[in-house]
Amino acid sequence: MGASRSASGSKDRPRRRGWSVRGYVVLFMVVLIAVAAIAGVAVRTLGQQDARQSAAADASFAARVAAAEIAGDLLLLQQTTAGLAVNPQLPAILAAPKGSCTLTFAGASPFSAGHLDIVKSDGSVICSSQAIAGGAVYGAASWLPAALLGPVTAAPFLDPATGEISAVVAAPVAGGAGLVAAIVALGPVGPNLAATLGGARQLEFLVTTNSDETVLARSLQPSRWVGKPLAGTAFAGSARAVERPGLDGRTRLYDWSRVGSTTWLVYAGADEAAALTAADLSSNRELAIILGGAGIMLVVIFVVYRRIVDPIRRLSLVIRSSTVDGAVSAVDTIGASEVTDLAQDFARLMATVKSELVERLNSEQEAVVSERNYRTLFEGHPQPMWLYDVDTFAFLEVNDSACDRYGYTRKEFMAMTICDVQQPLDVPKFLELQAMPMPTSDRTGPWRHLLKDGSTIQVLITSHALIFGDHHARFVLAEDLTESQHLELELVESHARAEHSAELARAKDEMVTVVSHELRTPLASIVGFAELLATREVTAAQRKDYLAVMLQEGRRLSALVNDFLDLRRLEGGHLSMRFAPSDIKALIRRAVDLFSVPGGTPIEMRVQDDLPLVRVDGDSMFRVIANLLSNARKYSPLDGSISIGARVVNGMVEVAVQDKGLGIPAGALTHLFGKFFRVETADRGSIGGTGLGLAICKNIVESHGGKIGARSEGLGKGSRFYFTVPIARAQAQAGEVLIVEDDSGFANLVEAELEARGLTSMWAADAETAEHLVTKARAVVLDLLLPGLSGEGFLHHLRATRGPGIPVVVVTLKDLGPAENLSLQKAGVAAVLRKGPGTAAAAANLLVQCLASELVAI
Amino acid sequence: MTFRTPTELGLLRTVLIADDESSIRLLVHATIESDDYTVVEASDGAQAWTLAQELKPSLVLLDVQMPGQSGLEVLRSIKADPDLRATRVILLTSKAQERDIEVGLIAGADFYLTKPFSPLDLLTRVEEALEL
Repeated sequence: MGASRSASGSKDRPRRRGWSVRGYVVLFMVVLIAVAAIAGVAVRTLGQQDARQSAAADASFAARVAAAEIAGDLLLLQQTTAGLAVNPQLPAILAAPKGSCTLTFAGASPFSAGHLDIVKSDGSVICSSQAIAGGAVYGAASWLPAALLGPVTAAPFLDPATGEISAVVAAPVAGGAGLVAAIVALGPVGPNLAATLGGARQLEFLVTTNSDETVLARSLQPSRWVGKPLAGTAFAGSARAVERPGLDGRTRLYDWSRVGSTTWLVYAGADEAAALTAADLSSNRELAIILGGAGIMLVVIFVVYRRIVDPIRRLSLVIRSSTVDGAVSAVDTIGASEVTDLAQDFARLMATVKSELVERLNSEQEAVVSERNYRTLFEGHPQPMWLYDVDTFAFLEVNDSACDRYGYTRKEFMAMTICDVQQPLDVPKFLELQAMPMPTSDRTGPWRHLLKDGSTIQVLITSHALIFGDHHARFVLAEDLTESQHLELELVESHARAEHSAELARAKDEMVTVVSHELRTPLASIVGFAELLATREVTAAQRKDYLAVMLQEGRRLSALVNDFLDLRRLEGGHLSMRFAPSDIKALIRRAVDLFSVPGGTPIEMRVQDDLPLVRVDGDSMFRVIANLLSNARKYSPLDGSISIGARVVNGMVEVAVQDKGLGIPAGALTHLFGKFFRVETADRGSIGGTGLGLAICKNIVESHGGKIGARSEGLGKGSRFYFTVPIARAQAQAGEVLIVEDDSGFANLVEAELEARGLTSMWAADAETAEHLVTKARAVVLDLLLPGLSGEGFLHHLRATRGPGIPVVVVTLKDLGPAENLSLQKAGVAAVLRKGPGTAAAAANLLVQCLASELVAI
Repeated sequence: MTFRTPTELGLLRTVLIADDESSIRLLVHATIESDDYTVVEASDGAQAWTLAQELKPSLVLLDVQMPGQSGLEVLRSIKADPDLRATRVILLTSKAQERDIEVGLIAGADFYLTKPFSPLDLLTRVEEALEL
């Protein structure tokens, strides 16, 4: 577990393994032991050093104190002797016999033993504090002559009175007759100093004469050393170093001090070995504490290691051997609680992961199996099935049955869209259905589908929305209606028809009521005024008024009847429409020209540039545009501005007419396109109309596969009428011969004749559309009398853009003068035919010849 | 719409024509034009009801099918108003609206004429209603 896995998982960087916890623990223990050892050594060394310094300091202090005491005692003795020497009785005492006076010696530490003497100049003692033999006791003493002259302090000398090595302090009596001498024994001085100043350290005291010649006192073995010379001893040879061997050979730490009034030196020495022993004793205690602490820490670390690292190692082993269940038991007896928890969490996590993995594996397996089943079902289904993209209508998948039934290979299917198999007449209805929000599943039909061989079958479509890859798709089952199924369907349909018939009858009754009202009103006026004119004497002015109303109402009646019949035909699908690619801009321009009032506000045209050709019946579409413009004019009093625009919106061309006129109340918008609906407000009471125009427009637009609608902000805010028409498909714009002809019947005829001769064709109902289509044509059949741009105008354009190479046959009703004929010939027209029976065939023959000769020419 | 001066209105009886079609109003007006009474026109139901309350006409020629307030509604209002107890009502309808005729007669209309109607017939009915 000591391995640190890089979370970022960088692959190129070599993975660095950290130390194991065991490594860290061992390192920590080694460091701990090393630190303890260093601490021990330091304690011991520093302790000895301290002990040495302390002993030296003690010795130094004791030396000074001892020197001061000796000096103080000597001073006391000097004062005593000097005081006694000047006593006025002394000359008398010196003159008296021995023993005539009494003296007392009060010893003081360190000089505890000694005697006070009054000595005559010959060295004999007159009087003493102790019994002294007669005669010149001190006659031989070296200090005597000097002492007779002045105060003397001298040592050592062997006191003849006591036989001890002593020091003498003497003061002369005036006149040189004698002196007073205090003689103190040096033997007890050392032990006395040791007793008062030696303390626990048992210092050694040594008093020497100046320049270390003779020992005056010593605390140890005084009788062996007092009065003896120092020369030759190890002490004398060590040149006053702090650490030096004593007189007895033991090493001591010495310091010394000079006794103030003499030249004596006092040494105090501390025993080094004893000091070190004491220091060692105390440092041993500290060492014991350090070692004990370190030991306890080692134990603690070991226990922690056992409690944490061992369980983790075991857990790791268990994980590596992938027996999840063992994880908890591996650690739960010895592990720290966190580690136990970790093991349990891990066990839980692994259990979850395991069960999820199992589940996922199972579901994936199921998915694979079900996918395989569905695919088998799809591929092998006896009825055509496919998937198509709802946005592009492209086929995404087709089954074998679809390939068999429709005759296309799978590859061909993949290059096609649903629209390509639809019967062209069904396409608008299909597109309309697709444009609406579709239910998840639905069943529609029957639809007419085209097979590859050109025949048509009827199918019922069951479809279901699904997501296929990243496509929004529909899954389709096409039920081919065989004869029996067809009968069944008809039965179902006849039931539906029966159900609808009652409703239709009701609607029809309602319609009859409305129509009869609409027809009777103008009829009532006409008949009424006719009767008035027939039965009454009227003035000329009245007659004129009456006739005017009759004419107006008669026209209205006529328009009404026409519109109504047109609408019936449209609704019944009886109004034949011939859809062809058309330049809607040209249609719009013609309608605008029709409604432009000289001197009035011009109708503004906002047609998008490069508008594609639309697939429309030109006459019907013109009617729609004209109707909307007419309405805009009618409901825009005061010559309000009107604009008409066209642009591509969602794959359709949208035409919109905007006025700033009376507007439409919100409630009326939904009824606007119904039959005989008219907005009735006071301000439009005099505006005439049949109430059928918009209903007709709606029918026309919808039969093109488009939509129509209106918007208005309300009364007085103007209105916007718009409709959409489909863009012409590319196939309709490809043909060898371009037929430019406004009469669709004649165009059909020519087309049939060309087809009979193996030539494909395309049709333009006006010259503007023809200008778009002519770029792909090899030959042209041209009418001269065209709406908008004339045939001659088109001819001019053709020669200007494509040169003289394209054969043109003119077919027209127009009576041409010689000049016109000539100019046509100049324009390279192959022939001018007058429209009549057989003209279509003649034109086709001519074109075949032209194209053939063109081939030869090449 | 033709208005006479208030003094004249006070002196003469009033006939109110209510029809949304101006050509029909013109026809009716021309047919019944007379010095014996004043003719007032209304082009919709609401206007007809307002003028009926104001002028208290002796006779109302009421088109059944008008936008907004229909002729039948105006008829019911007239019949419910005590001040207009004396007012006679002739309905003008399209022939197809047979049910409306029934409803109108039940609601208290005095007579009805279907479009297209004979102006002479109309004049006769008006004179009958005004007891001229």
